[in-house]
Amino acid sequence: MKQKQKIAVYSGDIPSTTFIERLIRGLSQRDLQIMLFGFLKTSNPSYNNSVTLVAYKNTRFQKVLHLLKYTMLLVLFRFKDKRKLDSILKTSNQNTLREKVKYYPVLWHKPDVFHLQWAKGISDWIWVKEFGIKLILSLRSAHINYSPIADETLAETYTSLFPHVDGFHAVSKAIAKEAVRYGAPEDRIKVVYSGLDVNPSEDSNSTSNKIFNIVSIGRSHWVKGYSYAIDMCKILKEANVNFKYTIIGGDDSVELSYQINDLGLEAHVELLGQMPFKTVKSFIERSDLLLLSSVKEGVANVVLEAMALKTLVLATDSGGMAEVITPYENGYLSTIRDPESLASKVLEIIDLKQDKRNSILENAYEYIQDHHRQDTMINGMCALYDNTKIVS
Amino acid sequence: MSSKTSHNKIIGLVLSTAPKYSETFFRNKISGLQDNGFKVILFVDYKSKHDNDFPCEIVVAPNFGGSKMKTFFNSFLSLLKCLVLYPKKSARFLSLEKKSGFTLRQRLKRLILNQFLFQKHVDWLHFGFGNLAISRENVAEAKGAKMAVSFRGSDFYLSPLKHKDCYQLLFQKEVKYHVLSNEMKQDVMAHNIAFDNIQVITPAINTSFFKAPQMPNTIGKTVKLITVARLHWKKGLIYTLEAMKVLRDREIDFHYTIIGSGEEYERIKFAINQLELNHRVTLLGELKQEDIKKQLKSSDIYIQYSIQEGFCNAALEAQAMGLMCVVSNAEGLSENVLNNKTGWVIPKRQPELLAGKIIEILGLPDAVKNEIRKTAIERVKNQFNLEKQNAAFKAFYSNYDIQ
Repeated sequence: MKQKQKIAVYSGDIPSTTFIERLIRGLSQRDLQIMLFGFLKTSNPSYNNSVTLVAYKNTRFQKVLHLLKYTMLLVLFRFKDKRKLDSILKTSNQNTLREKVKYYPVLWHKPDVFHLQWAKGISDWIWVKEFGIKLILSLRSAHINYSPIADETLAETYTSLFPHVDGFHAVSKAIAKEAVRYGAPEDRIKVVYSGLDVNPSEDSNSTSNKIFNIVSIGRSHWVKGYSYAIDMCKILKEANVNFKYTIIGGDDSVELSYQINDLGLEAHVELLGQMPFKTVKSFIERSDLLLLSSVKEGVANVVLEAMALKTLVLATDSGGMAEVITPYENGYLSTIRDPESLASKVLEIIDLKQDKRNSILENAYEYIQDHHRQDTMINGMCALYDNTKIVS
Repeated sequence: MSSKTSHNKIIGLVLSTAPKYSETFFRNKISGLQDNGFKVILFVDYKSKHDNDFPCEIVVAPNFGGSKMKTFFNSFLSLLKCLVLYPKKSARFLSLEKKSGFTLRQRLKRLILNQFLFQKHVDWLHFGFGNLAISRENVAEAKGAKMAVSFRGSDFYLSPLKHKDCYQLLFQKEVKYHVLSNEMKQDVMAHNIAFDNIQVITPAINTSFFKAPQMPNTIGKTVKLITVARLHWKKGLIYTLEAMKVLRDREIDFHYTIIGSGEEYERIKFAINQLELNHRVTLLGELKQEDIKKQLKSSDIYIQYSIQEGFCNAALEAQAMGLMCVVSNAEGLSENVLNNKTGWVIPKRQPELLAGKIIEILGLPDAVKNEIRKTAIERVKNQFNLEKQNAAFKAFYSNYDIQ
């Protein structure tokens, strides 16, 4: 019987973010053995039998136990490998117990593919190549889009290590292009768009709101460009538009609270805390428009979700958004850092005739079904694992 | 409560840490008070390496962090000191806290945390920032001292956004407030604080250090723009950079320098890159005063396009150095710079407007530019000098009855 390919999906945390969990669960439906290394954030994450957890709780005792177990196994059965890794760690100044508790289990299990989710961790994991493990790196938002711009050392690390990575998964063509700037060979990058399994509720999409409801979803980080969205609200208010704008995930931002007060928008703008996806989904479905005001993005999952839920989307032309949205066909695009442009698009959308609105919503829904289904993403990822060649 | 006018009054100043060498405001204030015959005791939450060479007595709060054992020991010691060394004051504090509606557990916790403030006798207990008075509203009264609070900008405008109603109890107390601008005074009065209980004392600068050169600069081929500010969203640096993009698009030959460091470095660096301003903007990081002066000396226009600003010493320093200043209308800035007299004040959050104003200034006849510079230099020299500030603080503690 052919042995299953062993794929390590590494983010460090178990469970990980929503989109990485979607990837893990999708892969676990295929004929693969999925390995998750790292530390357990919850005691009993539920996965199917194809997922092997090699994890420890974040306590000193658990870490020591974990380290002892894998040190013993390596000393007894794979001493040469251990010695080789120790020597690499010494050379790269990583020869600490904290690092070894992460590395030894991976060395012992030796997956066929080590799929690293965060580019900033590349210098920690480049050693896996010395042991014949295929190294694949996901190119995701902050790690590529802005961190290396502000952090020159990180940019240098990328430039020196990206040429040695066997394969890259890019969440958009735009982010692939960014990675090429740091030495990622173009022919080793495969764009695999996010996939999701989100469907509209049966009672969704009543468009009879008296007030035009706009919603944004995401943490209160400057990259989300919420200050431009709030400046847009001032323009809408001055134009006497009857609207309400809600930012889910923005309630902890003093900057945004100040701006709302300063511009006298308390009656129009509301900041809410983070919520479970079920509630977020219901919010999106009840809204007339999902707004993405980001100054940079990979491809924002929340836009894909809104399209799947048949809610109109207006996004800034940031990062990979133009790869998803064809203006006036399946959504709207606006220039980045431009409240005037955002406001004029919103006014256009408010005036949209019902049949045109329905056709845009239908196109958006179709687009997601054609390009962003979970199985499409998993097929793409499996092809990446299979077709990537180990580079020396 | 009535004041007694006597010399050798003791001022207890509450700060988070002892001011660094570069934090001139509190250092100047303390030495000014000492020169005027006051004794100053500094109460700080955290020890710092500047404590030893600081020119007044410093009382540091116990460290309640670290292991549980350490926390318990320090708490027990503080409670013991309260009961043994100042039982009456402690009892008064607990009683006032009870009146303020706190549970026994909360009262004891607050007594322990504030024990170090009871350690020394003072005539005035002055909280250097509004947020330092939170949870300490009853300390001065329990000590039998008068209470003063300085609002310096973000503590008044931003803290309540993070901690709703955080000054509710403070505003019910007998407090003398020091604020930096008339606009701020109006905003404090909106909380039912009497006009006479709020005194405006604007910041001051060392006008013999920040002094304009004899001959005013003539603007060269490349106009040099500069801002000295912490890299924080409230400084409006993103709007300023967007204005720089407008200048570049309109083919203005300029270079913009930002002096300062801070938490928003990544955001600002990214904006510079995204707006394609890499060759037009330099981030110099934090500099010493001497180096700031050098940079100001070789610049033409100073920009302070803040979103929120108490008053802004840097804008005063730039004016004193003879730079033409363009500022936003954020809180105290329009009192710092007088529109069309000592510089230009324009509405905030409008990069196009800022760019347009800079272009307009560049087109002004030299005589007009020099007149504005001259008026600004004179005004800063006469109204924002340290002597004036010291006299104002002397009066603050001496001739005052809390209404």
